[in-house]
Amino acid sequence: MSGLISGKKGSRRLLMGNEAIARGALEAGVKVAAGYPGTPSSEIVENLAKVAEAGNLYVEWSTNEKIAMEVAAAASFARLRSICVVKQNGINVASDFLLHLAGSGTRGGMLVIPCDDPGALSSINEGDTRHFARLLEIPLVEPGDFQEAKDMTKWALELSEELQCVIMMRSVTRLSHASGNVTLGDLPVTDVKAEFRHEGFPLDPNEGIITSAPVAFRHSQQQEKLKKATAAFESSPFNTYTGPEKPEVLIVTSSACNLYSREAINILKAEERVGILKLGTTWPLPEKLIENRLQKCDSILVVEEVIPFMEENLKILAQELEPKIGRKIFYGKRDGSIPSVDEMNPDLVIAPLAKLLGIEYQAMSEEYATNAMQKSFFAAPVRDLTFCPGCPHRASFWSINNVLKLDNNRGFVCGDIGCYTMATLPTGFSTLKTLHSMGSGTGVASGFGKLTQFGMNQSVVTVCGDSTFFHSVIPALVNAVHHKSDITLVVLDNSGTAMTGFQSHPGLEVDASGGDAVKLDIESICISMGAVVKKCNPFDFEKTQQLLFELLEIKEGVKVLILEQICALSPEKKAKKNFEMSVDESRCKGESCGCNRLCTRIFRCPGLVWHEESGISRIDEAICAGCGVCSAICPVGAISRKEVAYE
Amino acid sequence: MEILGTKELMEQVRDKGLCVSCGACVEICPYHKSYKGKIALVFDCDMTPCQCYAYCPQTETDRDLLSRTMFGTMDKGEALGQYRSIIAAKAGSKIKSNRFQNGGTVSALFTHALDSGLIDAAVLTGQNDDLPEPMLIENACDVASCATTKYMATPTLAAVHKAIRDGRKNLGVAGTACQVKALATIKANPLGKAEQENSIGLSLGLFCTWSLDTRKFSAFLAGETGGEKIVSMDVPPPPAETFKIKTENEEREFPLKEIRKMIPRGCACCPDMTAEWADVSVGAYEGKPGWNTLIIRSEKGEQWVEEAIADDYLVRDEFPRSRLEHLTLGADNKRKKAEEFLTKEKK
Amino acid sequence: MNKSLQFDPYNLIITGVGGQGNVMASRVLGNMFSMNGYTVTIGETFGASQRGGSVMSHLRISSDACYSPQIAKGQAHLIVALEPTEALRVLANYGNQDVKVLCNNRPIYAVGVISGELNYPEQARIHEWIGELSSQCWFLDATDEALKQMRHPIYGNIILLGALAATETIPIAREDFKSIIADSVPADKLDINMKAYDMGMDMIS
Repeated sequence: MSGLISGKKGSRRLLMGNEAIARGALEAGVKVAAGYPGTPSSEIVENLAKVAEAGNLYVEWSTNEKIAMEVAAAASFARLRSICVVKQNGINVASDFLLHLAGSGTRGGMLVIPCDDPGALSSINEGDTRHFARLLEIPLVEPGDFQEAKDMTKWALELSEELQCVIMMRSVTRLSHASGNVTLGDLPVTDVKAEFRHEGFPLDPNEGIITSAPVAFRHSQQQEKLKKATAAFESSPFNTYTGPEKPEVLIVTSSACNLYSREAINILKAEERVGILKLGTTWPLPEKLIENRLQKCDSILVVEEVIPFMEENLKILAQELEPKIGRKIFYGKRDGSIPSVDEMNPDLVIAPLAKLLGIEYQAMSEEYATNAMQKSFFAAPVRDLTFCPGCPHRASFWSINNVLKLDNNRGFVCGDIGCYTMATLPTGFSTLKTLHSMGSGTGVASGFGKLTQFGMNQSVVTVCGDSTFFHSVIPALVNAVHHKSDITLVVLDNSGTAMTGFQSHPGLEVDASGGDAVKLDIESICISMGAVVKKCNPFDFEKTQQLLFELLEIKEGVKVLILEQICALSPEKKAKKNFEMSVDESRCKGESCGCNRLCTRIFRCPGLVWHEESGISRIDEAICAGCGVCSAICPVGAISRKEVAYE
Repeated sequence: MEILGTKELMEQVRDKGLCVSCGACVEICPYHKSYKGKIALVFDCDMTPCQCYAYCPQTETDRDLLSRTMFGTMDKGEALGQYRSIIAAKAGSKIKSNRFQNGGTVSALFTHALDSGLIDAAVLTGQNDDLPEPMLIENACDVASCATTKYMATPTLAAVHKAIRDGRKNLGVAGTACQVKALATIKANPLGKAEQENSIGLSLGLFCTWSLDTRKFSAFLAGETGGEKIVSMDVPPPPAETFKIKTENEEREFPLKEIRKMIPRGCACCPDMTAEWADVSVGAYEGKPGWNTLIIRSEKGEQWVEEAIADDYLVRDEFPRSRLEHLTLGADNKRKKAEEFLTKEKK
Repeated sequence: MNKSLQFDPYNLIITGVGGQGNVMASRVLGNMFSMNGYTVTIGETFGASQRGGSVMSHLRISSDACYSPQIAKGQAHLIVALEPTEALRVLANYGNQDVKVLCNNRPIYAVGVISGELNYPEQARIHEWIGELSSQCWFLDATDEALKQMRHPIYGNIILLGALAATETIPIAREDFKSIIADSVPADKLDINMKAYDMGMDMIS
């Protein structure tokens, strides 16, 4: 957002949820922000990094989420306000530290902001971080629209400071990556000095040592804080009720589901019949407020995404309150009214609500729906995800696939998170066979590599990106080296955290705000660990495959092949063609035996187009990135490349 | 007989472990590739009919087609295949080298073929590091480097295809039964490929009872010899039941039983000991050290041998009737074993 | 610009393929309404979906309330398609007899089409079907004209915005566009953007 800092109090802007949160952090006087890139969370840190200098902030892309959490906590310990922003996976990574942080308490206000991805629009899981709040015993708040995203950030930071407890503020894709109108508040003029006080009585929360021990003592303090949080939640401006005093159905909801619920009521024209209790503070639940609402309605529809978190907590509460408020019937995930996988939308609220209200609802006339569905089915081609034109991953997996197939002992690749995740798909020749969390490819491979004693003799290859290497591959690699696990790690180094938008990482010379940083060299790190290390350009198939064969031949210990080639979309590279490509149409074998459209059918770079009528492949000039790689795959040499001269 | 595609080739041959790594499917398309004695499909191909299926010696054989192509007649189904004559032969005075497995007949014939211009180039099996490798030979003086038996599967046909792709014609090729069968098929050109016209000039078949899995056997050799250079390998005539390996420093013997464990399944279903689809076939002459058995099959083969003898590249001797019976018996045995194997497979 | 919205909220979907500038177009449009006091909500999908996948932006424009970032099934009032087959995909989920469609003619082939596994329908067929599934529709060669006149396909989106104004489906003012685009592009690019906008306006008659 332009004007994240310059926006004046009272002005109204169209902000993305993540921009609103970033603005809220500025309005709360946050001084330190740390995170690890991950969709849909990245824009919060990104936007703060842009104004770091102007706003006197320290903003960093940390090596991983646990370290980001620790960096943000240090600021809090030094009495500054801080936020740590991650996607849902990041809470898992940071949870060990978080559990201790919950026990030790904090000083300056500190928010943990996970952006969940229900429906996994940009993830390979739809983990629900709300459960961590209950597990860690820390307060959980969730903004219900864009204005709240900004306002709640400030409010929660203040509450965190007051309670001396870290607070989790959870967003979701449909808030983080959606935009709405936000009226800006004031930016404070702060002149805080960072100072860590530790010379006082050890148990003093402001002057003593910061730790979670003695456990029973600190744990009871932590639970006191939760009670105080609950009290504050009772009067929180983010818990609202809209609807008739005694509704037929009470919807209890939070986050983006608040907007879906409102939409559903609006479409069903049921404003007079249904009430919405929108909770901004979702754990611990504000008991009195809920009691008051439950008293007035017996049918409760709980609208939330993924796991029945609120539903279960509400049911516990309703059970306790039953003598006072009577028996309630809950509709939600447990009875199947609301699905417990995938993201929600207005239609998924309309369906159970219409049923409860006895309303007949049809979104589209049957005739129109059938007609439109048929036409869309015939006309709109399935758009499979694909590596971009000129993507180094396509070249890398081409070689990995070739080598493993020729090695011919059912070798496979363990992978993890990054654009290269798509190597499970035809665009990466379906080369990836295991795919889990960041860095897990190397850890899983390390385990596979030790199974020779049980007769396993398949070649084990693992891949990781450059950012992932630093994030969590290093410890897995240490493990594999130490245990002489027979694996080959291929580092797909494309010089940036490409998938999430080229954020910096420890292998680069810049930091989040564009300042100087120390570059760590992946090759030297691997060598120092004792691995056999080779390096080359993945666009050179022959060399890449030769090195990979050589490494696979070494039957004990860890081998590393670093494939270095910058991402085709990177700002430095974008739109710059190294080669002009052309197809010699007289030589192209097209669909005949001896080729069978290798380039368009298998290699499948979007820059190559199969021309049905003439039975040959062609280059789409507008899409081709000019990497030159396809000239090496054509079995008859029909694709040629001409170097582009730049001044 | 229907020529199918890659999918069927995989189902009928490779997935069943019947591939003999002859290389007939390699270097004609980007899908089948050979590496260290094994052939792999690197990407799926859904095309049909395909050259890979057509040339593969392990798919169903159109014996009449091959017979018409090689000998101009219908198939007769004899144990030794069709032949015009059988003689004993060895290298003649024109051949200097003495590093021959037996009588040096193969080297002699190819040296002559290249010298005389009967063929434009030859594809023979040489050595690269510890693995056998097919080589394109253009000069007669390089033939000697390919002498001696390798006992390992070699993708000879891959080198043939590559040479054809590079525009070569009239090639002379030495190969085992499976390989010359593929050569005969290429010559028959069932898919009518322009590049295959006149691609194969002469084919020389090598007697073969089995060949060994290249990866298993090279690993065995490396383990047993500790990396020492191997000078020669030999299976002495029955009843020895041994396998001899001679390195620069020593000669060792292994029980044939152990070696046979490394025979790929694909060899077990081969009924052809004497390489029946070649122009000429060459093997050991049991009981006459330093001599070869030479089966002259086609008219072209006969002309080749006669010229080689006339020009002192080759020396001939009589092949007695008793030896013929012995040879037929051996060939019959192999055929029966293959039939047994296939019957078992079907169950 | 005193005309009010035909519906409140007005539900507009901008659809296209990753990399076409969908997000930028929805931001510009959203900001134009936001600056006039409307409450705007935009729901977007991006991230992995940009790698060749379909990308949709849902715009909700209202005089008073913030609506869901996802439009309910069958509730679209207007669809702006940067890619023609994407219009049909959206119609299948959000269309209705009264919906209007503004459509760019330039196809973007899916990787399945490139690889020859899938077919891409003929333009006449697409036009016919979109016509059948909408109450009113406009087709224009926005990308082609942009390539011809501005030498960059991205101006196709601006041409479409200009055309959108000319359809008079929603109240859009040229001055509003100018002030928003001036905020988001370098000063020397303002004229070419205005030229594209005006070209778009002229293409609807």
